[in-house]
Amino acid sequence: MSEELSQRPSRQAGKKEKMSKEAIEQSIEPQLSYWPIVLAAAIIVMLIGLVIHPIIMIIGVVLTVAAIIGWGLERR
Amino acid sequence: MATRTVVEGVGVARRKRLSETYIGAWLMTTDHKKIGIMYIVTAFFFFLVGGTEALLIRTQLAVPNGKVLSPEQYDQVFTMHGTTMIFLFVMPMLVGLGNYIVPLMIGARDMAFPRLNAFGYWIVLFGGLFLTSSFLFGQAPDAGWFSYAPLTELTTNCGPTAVECNAGLNMDFWALGILLLGISSISGALNFVVTILKLRAPGMTVNRMPLFTWMTLITSFLLLFAIPSLTAAAVLLLLDRHLGTHFYQAGFGGDPLLWQHLFWSFGHPEVYILILPAFGIISEVVPVFSRKPIFGYTFVAWSGVAIGFLSFTVWAHHMFAVGLPLIAQAFFATSTTLIAIPTAVKIFNWVATTWQGKLSLRPPMLFALGFIAMFLIGGLNGVALAVVPFDYQMTDSYFVVSHLHYVLFGGTAFGVFAALYYWFPKMSGRMLGERLGQLQFWLMLIGVNLTFFPMHILGLLGMPRRQYTYPANLGWNELNLLATIGAFTLAVAMLVFIWNVIVSLRSGKEAGGDPWDAFTLEWDTTSPPQPYNFLVVPTVRSRRPFFDKKNPEIADWKTPVH
Repeated sequence: MSEELSQRPSRQAGKKEKMSKEAIEQSIEPQLSYWPIVLAAAIIVMLIGLVIHPIIMIIGVVLTVAAIIGWGLERR
Repeated sequence: MATRTVVEGVGVARRKRLSETYIGAWLMTTDHKKIGIMYIVTAFFFFLVGGTEALLIRTQLAVPNGKVLSPEQYDQVFTMHGTTMIFLFVMPMLVGLGNYIVPLMIGARDMAFPRLNAFGYWIVLFGGLFLTSSFLFGQAPDAGWFSYAPLTELTTNCGPTAVECNAGLNMDFWALGILLLGISSISGALNFVVTILKLRAPGMTVNRMPLFTWMTLITSFLLLFAIPSLTAAAVLLLLDRHLGTHFYQAGFGGDPLLWQHLFWSFGHPEVYILILPAFGIISEVVPVFSRKPIFGYTFVAWSGVAIGFLSFTVWAHHMFAVGLPLIAQAFFATSTTLIAIPTAVKIFNWVATTWQGKLSLRPPMLFALGFIAMFLIGGLNGVALAVVPFDYQMTDSYFVVSHLHYVLFGGTAFGVFAALYYWFPKMSGRMLGERLGQLQFWLMLIGVNLTFFPMHILGLLGMPRRQYTYPANLGWNELNLLATIGAFTLAVAMLVFIWNVIVSLRSGKEAGGDPWDAFTLEWDTTSPPQPYNFLVVPTVRSRRPFFDKKNPEIADWKTPVH
């Protein structure tokens, strides 16, 4: 019994160390974001619209502005 | 079902979010390593596209009076070959290698702006697809990769203000594609500059940075200063084509030479953008496979800086034949000859590094040595072109085609394959096959010389560039056929590489963290590295921090020069 009790603090300390390493790893891993691909697609739509039709260009401009705002407001 | 749901607890499951799926993780990644891999894979895809275009060119030119392509198709194919290879293969490939390796090399956890990094990649992919889709409309760009005005001025505006009427969108695809790719280049360059200047590990002064990092930094500054010139040129072209301006039209007070000055102000720094990272790759590979530190680190680093500055002073050597004043021709001839000096310094330093080294002729080193030999040939015929009277005869001939392919294929492409063989184990955890690597190297070495050496002679015999065919009585037949055989030899070499990659990914030898016993920090990680690179950011005391860690008794920081 006393052995179990004496083991508990070191097991708990080991668990704490392992968790904090995992927590550290999670905090420094790269975060995901969809705004880069959305902004890239919006810019393409805008430039295609420059050649094909002004309406498509205007849609592209709106999407681009929205993507830039979304990018800026994203919490990191 | 198991791949679409996440179990959150006993009896509790939910559908996976996009970010938790395999494809979603790649679409939304901001990890420099994943972005680097995407750049490399995309660039290699476009390399195959550009290579196919090259094979079409060579097939058309294999025999006189060829009928494989019509003149219009030929114009589109050679234009897209150049545009694809430069903007969609070499640049993204070098950015991809830099993306993967530079943060690891400097002890950083990621690039300074991870989302901007991802954005740069997606713009390249969408821009490349946009540009290549022009073939589907039968309107691929057709005025050469440097798109000289006034040929590119043909517009849809019929009437007294237009030179001619042409409903084609060919050059609009080119101009818009270039604008898009310029956005990616600027964003990537900015990211590299900030990352390298601000995120180096403690103790890593600029004097201790790996040379690949040095060259990437210089290249990034070149991009920041050169791309705006191209952007301005492309915007003015679009204004001329669609809004009735006359920037490049001599008949209306404009000047076609304005295009050439603006383009080559970008174009010449651009060729150093295409080669400097390859110099950096060679500067990493040669020391490791010679088992010695690089000879003359300071000279190699600062000669790169000298090349960077001088590259902005030589642009008009592409324009010797347009009627520039003699004083201008003399200036540009001098600056062009001068820029050969820092380049030669590098070659001497690489050769000196191998001197009395313990050479290991593994595939990365084979490609590095091949680079040195082939780039030397390209450099020498380039210096010949700096001599103005010689250039008067050789400009726009196959001599120039030979020069540019020796430096870009014999140079950069060999450097790229040296990098891929060197760093593939780090990226994938597997070694690429040695025997297949050696086979690829020898096929490439034979192929590049068979394809491009005869072009020296073709140029001297008077064969112009961008001719879709030639008559049989000019003495060009056998040399063209040789060049075509060489091109197909290169194609076989690429198939060998693709097979090597497929087999190695499936069942290649496991690489471990440090298969080459290398010197720099990227090898002090697992293969592939953890998402966060370094749990503990290392402290650096010399130019070979990982060598020091493995060999503390003979660490570089114990000798005064470091």
